[in-house]
Amino acid sequence: MTAAQIRFLTLVRREVTRFLKIKRQTLGAPLLETFLYISVFGAALGSRIDKLHGVDYVVFIIPGLLMMAWAINAFANNSSSILQQKFQRAIDDQLSSPASPLELLLAFSLGGFLRGLIVATITFCAAALLVDIPVEHVLVLVPSLFLVGFFFAQLGVLVGVRAEQFDDVSFYQTFLLTPLIFLGGVFYSAQLLPEPFQTLTYFDPVYYMIGLVRYGFLGYSDTSVELSLLFLTAAALALFAINFRLFARGYRLRA
Amino acid sequence: MAAALEIADLVKRYPTGTEALKGVSLEIGAGEFFGLLGPNGAGKSTLIHCTTGLAQPTTGEIRVFGHDAVHHYAEARLAVGLAPQDLNLDWFLTLEETLDYHGGYFGMPRKERRERSAELLDAFSLTAKRHDRTRTLSGGMKRRLILARALMHRPRLLILDEPTAGVDVELRLELWHYVQRINAEGTTILLTTHYLEEAERLCDRIAFINGGQIVAQGSSAELAAKYRVASLEDAYLELVGRKELSRAHIAGEAA
Repeated sequence: MTAAQIRFLTLVRREVTRFLKIKRQTLGAPLLETFLYISVFGAALGSRIDKLHGVDYVVFIIPGLLMMAWAINAFANNSSSILQQKFQRAIDDQLSSPASPLELLLAFSLGGFLRGLIVATITFCAAALLVDIPVEHVLVLVPSLFLVGFFFAQLGVLVGVRAEQFDDVSFYQTFLLTPLIFLGGVFYSAQLLPEPFQTLTYFDPVYYMIGLVRYGFLGYSDTSVELSLLFLTAAALALFAINFRLFARGYRLRA
Repeated sequence: MAAALEIADLVKRYPTGTEALKGVSLEIGAGEFFGLLGPNGAGKSTLIHCTTGLAQPTTGEIRVFGHDAVHHYAEARLAVGLAPQDLNLDWFLTLEETLDYHGGYFGMPRKERRERSAELLDAFSLTAKRHDRTRTLSGGMKRRLILARALMHRPRLLILDEPTAGVDVELRLELWHYVQRINAEGTTILLTTHYLEEAERLCDRIAFINGGQIVAQGSSAELAAKYRVASLEDAYLELVGRKELSRAHIAGEAA
């Protein structure tokens, strides 16, 4: 193994170790939260709701819940890990090492991405034991989930780098991310909404992400799969490019 | 043989407009024990941060053993170990992990990391605490761990930024003994300190920095001669414009 490979793996290992050390908070809590959503909206309320687009309500919401779990965990992990390390100045150990801006960015990104992947995978496996979840288009589903994870991992990095206090991180999560995800159609089909809410939903980028994931699982989507994939790829790459520029400049990382 | 550290016309201007370094030039020979003294805000830490990549110079050159430390920094950073003024340890990590990750960032293979961390934990009397998280350590132990971390990748240039600030007498003597030993073994040392007797006892040469400029350098005796005073302490008081605090002056007034 080369020195560069050892360095990169160590940077990633540090990020993974961090969330595994506080797994009750980083893995346990999101798993419980997702199961509460499935129980309340799926089992309790769902039994009184007719099928949506030909599937049971609980099955209809699971793709959105999995996407939401991956997105929120990828975002929360990276934003809080970077801010916490900046706060303690422990990040100086990585910044004064020979690691390049690209290595640092990829390692920080992977931390949240992997946490989201773990939460989403466990949730999927456990939900599959309770409900029959179809997977209609695996070749759309896997890249879509990976792109969603990558996008929110980048968003977490961006917010973590810009943040100067913990309030900054919670502000984005509470007032931007959560509303966008909830109003993006995790729990309902946008086609059921009255105007102007239906039209407004089309301006929510998360709506297209949920559409992609739902198409992968159920074979049904309100949105154009090709356009959504294109949009998501472009948005993820744009965020990555912005973050790379910030890391290369040392923005709010190096004096 | 290339100098351990060559700094030429280094300027650091912060976005706020503050010019912390105003064209600093400095050369530290390989194997030297070099002291950098100056009042708070003189530019000592900024100079160190520019050398280690924690701050980006506005203009000027920094070379570590001939390697450009600003634009092609990888080789330069491999040669530098930094023990910063702040106790910037990651609370989530144990002592052993702190050293192991640092070694990984510098590309050390696992076996070498294990051996080196065991050696350093032993040298700094931290072996019994190796599985404890860093936040549980006393201030003195944190200081020792920070020094051990800086030495982990066997740097040829060790930068100690106020290493004995706030530590008890035994630890101070222990640290002095250790750094003198590694200096005798060939490691170049750059020390900043507010303890003049520490600089006098340890350093071959000393530079005074004030207002972002190197204003004098030489041995302790040469600096005293330059300011036409009896000791390094008096020379320093001349530098900061507080010669009324000199022991000779106070003794004269008392008489």
